[in-house]
Amino acid sequence: MMLQEVIDIVKVLVFPGFLFFSILGLLYEWIDRKFYARLQNRVGPLYTGPSGFLQPFADFVKLMAKEDVVPEGAEKPIFSAVPVFALALSLFAVLFLPVYGTRGIISFEGDIVVLMVIMTLFVVLIFLGGISSASRYSEIGSERAILQLLGYEIPLVASVIGAAAVTVKANPSLSIRGIVEAQSGLWSIFGIQALGFAIFLLAAQAELERTPFDIPEAETEIVAGWMTEYSGKKLALLRLARDVELAFLCGLGATLFLGGPQPVFPGAAGTVISTVLFVVKSIVVLLILTLLRAAMSRLRIDQMVNFAWKYLMPLSILQLSLAVLIPNLLAF
Amino acid sequence: MGLVDWARIRSPWVIHFNTGACNGCDIEIVAALTPRYDVERFGIKLVGSPRHADVLVVTGPITKQVEKRIIRIYEQMPEPKFVMAVGNCCASSGAFRNCYNVYPGLDSLIPVDVYVMGCPPKPEAIINGVVKLIEKLRGGGS
Repeated sequence: MMLQEVIDIVKVLVFPGFLFFSILGLLYEWIDRKFYARLQNRVGPLYTGPSGFLQPFADFVKLMAKEDVVPEGAEKPIFSAVPVFALALSLFAVLFLPVYGTRGIISFEGDIVVLMVIMTLFVVLIFLGGISSASRYSEIGSERAILQLLGYEIPLVASVIGAAAVTVKANPSLSIRGIVEAQSGLWSIFGIQALGFAIFLLAAQAELERTPFDIPEAETEIVAGWMTEYSGKKLALLRLARDVELAFLCGLGATLFLGGPQPVFPGAAGTVISTVLFVVKSIVVLLILTLLRAAMSRLRIDQMVNFAWKYLMPLSILQLSLAVLIPNLLAF
Repeated sequence: MGLVDWARIRSPWVIHFNTGACNGCDIEIVAALTPRYDVERFGIKLVGSPRHADVLVVTGPITKQVEKRIIRIYEQMPEPKFVMAVGNCCASSGAFRNCYNVYPGLDSLIPVDVYVMGCPPKPEAIINGVVKLIEKLRGGGS
């Protein structure tokens, strides 16, 4: 009994919980920066550790050791709480991801709906952080974040719920576990879900505020958007939260559309192999996201919302209805 | 050398401030960031907000107009912070020496750690300036 509890705590804190995903987040930031630099004919981080591998870690340590400035007019409690809550939220979200086997640490019927709520809460935190820092740039940034949310939220939810349609045939379920189990034969990206995957990628890019949807933190217009006034430890935590969120969304994409970590065979070796499988698949998603970032330039906020409502929305509803209808029609 | 020093040397984030330069130095700084020299190799990154930055890179003659702004930007940066004066104008007012509207140099307003001379300095010279700054951080003289 005691042993089981200890194992559970280790699972949450070390593997596949907080520590594993923090390291994975920093690793993904490095892969992202390195691949982005290669696409621009640059080298990227090179001298911090082997091939600059430790660069995100060095940035994190440096920021942790820097002075922490709180602007005079800021709403101090909210301003200081936002980075902590952001990190806590993203570390909570990763507990739902199945790293090996078919279920995450937290797994129940309908956990996908909880994940949708968590993804929206991120933007609420961003809004609070920007509004409480009493700077014009931050306020514009957080208003843009909310406007952007209005654009991408519904397509994101529709693509994720559409991904759950693969479970319709065998035993209908709204849980990540059900989706992974339903993909044990054919991955859902091969079929109508390919459209859902494309929509998911665009929405994830907007959720992470990366080019072409980096409108809330547009560097050339509004300094650093809602993050303008954050410095030192708070900025370090925000960046770490961002990295973990990146790892989370890549992992979610790999789980919902690329089959996730299918259990190969039982035992320790099987655990290692399916963990590696999970990491490799989510790196594939990450590389696609980086490619999008390097290939496009920033849209204006009105263009983004227009695009989301004119094209992304109808497409996502089409994909959702097809994904639900086709298996039912085939059954007749 | 502790972990913090190790990290500080490897990730100097730069904010660029133009006090009224002719854009010569600015183009050379941009050249240092682009593929040919790619200073991201050393972890150097250009950031937009003074709150995120470690190094303030100033170009151009220090005019009376810009006095309040440059001091404000400097004070907005969190400690530890460093200042680089790039170009003759910034370091010693260059061609504008003895003008009624120009300060004799950046160091008459804020403390400067590294001077990079040249009109404009080559990207190599700017990177050399950053190396000098890192040596100063290591405590190996300046």
